[in-house]
Formats: sequence, C-alpha cells, structure tokens
Amino acid sequence: MFIEKSMTRSVISVGPDAGLLEARELMNRHRIHQLPVVDRDNTLIGIVTDRDLLRAMPSGLLTEAEAQREPERLAQLTIGDIMSRNVITVSPMHTLEDALLLMERTPVGAFPVVDQQGKLIGIISVRDLMRAFINVLGIHEPGTLLCILAEDKLGTMKRIVDAISEERIAFGSVLVARHWEEGKRAVFPYLLSSNVAHVKRKLEKLGFQLLNPMDWYLDRLPKKD
Amino acid sequence: MKRTGLVFDDRYLLHDTGPDHPETSERLKVIFAGIEAAGLLPKLVLIPGRRVEEKWIRTVHAEGHIRRFEEACACGYAEYGHPDNRMCGESFDTALLAVGGVLQATQMVMEGKLDNAFCAVRPPGHHAEPNRAMGFCYFNNIAIAARYLQMQWGIARVGIVDFDVHHGNGTQAIFDGDPTVFYYSIHEHPTFAYPGTGREFERGSALGIGYTLNTPMLPGQGDQDYQEALERDLVPAFDVFKPEVILVSAGFDAHADDDMSYMNVSTEGFSWIMRLLMELADKYAKGRIISILEGGYCLQRLPELIVNHLKILLQAPDNH
Repeated sequence: MFIEKSMTRSVISVGPDAGLLEARELMNRHRIHQLPVVDRDNTLIGIVTDRDLLRAMPSGLLTEAEAQREPERLAQLTIGDIMSRNVITVSPMHTLEDALLLMERTPVGAFPVVDQQGKLIGIISVRDLMRAFINVLGIHEPGTLLCILAEDKLGTMKRIVDAISEERIAFGSVLVARHWEEGKRAVFPYLLSSNVAHVKRKLEKLGFQLLNPMDWYLDRLPKKD
Repeated sequence: MKRTGLVFDDRYLLHDTGPDHPETSERLKVIFAGIEAAGLLPKLVLIPGRRVEEKWIRTVHAEGHIRRFEEACACGYAEYGHPDNRMCGESFDTALLAVGGVLQATQMVMEGKLDNAFCAVRPPGHHAEPNRAMGFCYFNNIAIAARYLQMQWGIARVGIVDFDVHHGNGTQAIFDGDPTVFYYSIHEHPTFAYPGTGREFERGSALGIGYTLNTPMLPGQGDQDYQEALERDLVPAFDVFKPEVILVSAGFDAHADDDMSYMNVSTEGFSWIMRLLMELADKYAKGRIISILEGGYCLQRLPELIVNHLKILLQAPDNH
C-alpha cells in the first residue's frame, strides 16, 4: 500500500531556468499536466501545471500592440517565475490511502514524491490511484458482481463468504459500502465465475436480500431527519 | 418459404457438465422436443454433427489450447481451466462435433442448398478466447465459422450479431483488429453481468477500429429498449458495413424468466430481434444467415423461443 510501489518513477521534470515554450513542449510530448521543478541537485523547488502555463501565455485577449510585444515578454519569462513554490508532496512511505484522502481535500491531480532530503524520486497521480483501484476491484478478470444487503453485525461476512466458497467460487474482490441504511451494509462480492445463479438462490435461502442492480450505490448516505 | 437447415445431433447431449450447472444437455432435449411438438421437423433440413478438421479450429485457437483441452478430457478431469468449464470424457469430441455442425450448415448455405440455418449445438462458443476456455465455452464456434467463410469462400465482410445476454468477449478479442469481420453485441451492462467486458468504448483496435460495436443494456430493460437500441446502433452500422453473410450468436438468456440475467426481454421480443436480423440479411447478405445457439437456460421458455426463431428463419417477412 506504499506510494513507492505505485508511483511513476521516471518522472519528467524541468529546471527553473527553462523557458515556457520548452515546458509546454515537454508536457505535450509526454501528455502530462504537472511538471515538477528541480534544481541542479534534483531537489524539488516547485511545480508548474498546464494551467499555470496557459495563464502565463494569454493569446486571444491582447491588443495588437500587446500581441507584438508578447514573444519578447514570453522569451524573458522562465519556469522559475511562474511556478508554485508551495508544493504538496508525499513521501515514498506514505500510503495510497494517504494520497487518496489528500487528493479528496486538495484540488491537485498529482503529488511529487520526495525523499527525506527533498529530492524528487517520483510522482503519484490520480491515474496511478485509479490503476490501483481497478486492481483492487479485480475487474480485469472475468466475473459477476452481486450486491447483498446484510445486517451490520459480527459474523455476517463469514456467512456470506462461506456460502460462496462452499460452491467453489473464487472471489475477485469484496467491497463493503458502509454508509447504507441504519444497521445495514451493502456487500458487493465480485465472483470469478459465470455460474452464479445457484449461489444467488442459496444466499436468498440463507435469508440474505439480493439487491436489484438498479438500486446499487457505493455511497448511499444514511437518511437524516 | 425458405430452405432452413437445423443442425442437431444426439451426440451434443454427451457433453456432461454435472449437477448445479445451467449449461446442461436438458437444454437441447427440451429444444428438440419443442421443435417436434410444433410440427416443424418435416419443414427443416436436418444436418447431423460432423467432426471438424482441426485445421479449422487452428484458424482461431492456439494449438496449446486444443491439446490441453484434449488432454484434460482424456485424463478424465472434471473441469478445464476454470470451475465454470465442467466437462466429461466426451466433451472434447462434442466440441469438435459442434464446430463441424456449424461449418456444415455454413457450407450448405454458401453452396445454395439452404437459405439459412440454425445450429442447436453444445457446448456454446462466444466466450472462448484463442488460448482459453471461458464461461462454458471451449471452441469459439461462430468465430471459426467466420474464418471459414473468409478462407473457404472468400467472403470479404462477415457481420456477427450477438444477442446473448453476456458479452461475447472471445469473439470480440478474436476480431478486435480485423476490419473484415464486424462484431456487434447487445448484452446486459458489464458492471452487472459476466464477463465484465463489452463496454461502449470498446470499438476495436488498430485496423479494426470501428468494426466492433457494443450496446450495454441496463438491468430491467426489455423489448422496447432492445428495439430502440438495435435500430439506433446495429442498423446504421450494418447499413454502412453491408455484411455479405450474417452470423448470429443466438443466446436467449435475456428472457425475463431466465435467472442468468436481470433483463426483461419477452418471447415476442426475441422474435422481433430475429425478424430484424432477417431483414438485414435480405437487404445485404442475400438472405444468408447462420444462427448458432449460445446461452439461454430457462428450460420452460427455450422450446417456444427456438420454435419462433425457426419459424422466422423458415418464412422471411416480405418487405420488398
């Protein structure tokens, strides 16, 4: 679960003296939206985003006189002039959960990963987290998802897992949506099989309620009075 | 009335999947009894199964897959590759007979001896990938038929329509980069149904981009939704592609009474779909349509579904 295992190591970075066009070219070529800025020792000193670059290069809204001076102005600007210096970074020993929660509360799409000396060693983006989530869901393997409405009490999961395992069906994943009705959880077992009709009947016989797929949610919140 | 072939063979019952398995020989037994009871047998050209030459299997499948399947069967294993794919000592031979029956029907249609055909074969095929069996499928019957049409008959554009409730991942994978075979599938949305492929954005790769088209349907949808979706997606696609022959992966598990899915297609809904495919075949493929049984597990409904399917093949609607 450590960032180190999921981050992109071959991170594209730029020096503070680089020009804006150079940076834009780099981002286009590698199809990236964030460009960490490092000094000669590879110490992270800032970050520029494609939005920073766009903001620094206004094009459509200029008067003719301004437009004529524009190439000269741009030529004098460096990445060091426009970069953000307050970079939110993570360490390689932070976890994916750290990055997920941090991303939820900041408007940032990627975090540079720096070691204890502040040197840039990688970057972790929304995309890397998505890949990890797809892996956790197990949906690259063929299977069938069920949704079981279950009592929120000790032993319920065991009964579900036992009932399915007895049928020799392997699990791709089991998700549990915590916020459901009072005292209930929605359990989503992803079964690596196409032959699940009999296990569904069995679960119903055991008293579990199988939810209609059109009523499935991952984030249904408890009703507030 | 059209000259319609029916591939059927008692040996297709020999592939035994054991208890608690939906893909049972009972399916074919009730289908045949239904055809007989409806008095359709004298109107059909019966085609027995035939052991296919392995060279045709190799047009789609890896040699290793064929040999592993054969060995697993000879060794008396109860499953091949995955617990879904149960088998018995006869399964390998039955699978060869199924492909052979499909190719025999295809040949007779191409020779002009038949207008069209339905192949009531087991095991089904559309989940089988080049190198693995999946979802009760071992050899991809329909994909091999498409290759046969290309190689033996020089057909440049084969249109495949797959209305089984599950996405035909195997067929899609085989023709993913191939612009000469158009794969169209309508199925329950992959988030809610096996095998989890067949999303709208899967449109083929490399030269085959645009020659794969998937219509995922939401749980609970029925006849009206299917009709709208097919008219919106399939019809314009085939109007452009103009298939010379249409192959159908005919699965009946989207039926409201089939517990393999949450879909709500009625018996009449399936007839509507088949009449549409007949119209497309008449329009572009000289009526040449070969339909191959995939899924469909409701033993109470299968007889009427297949009887209607055959009646539509026998008497094409007159739209000219």
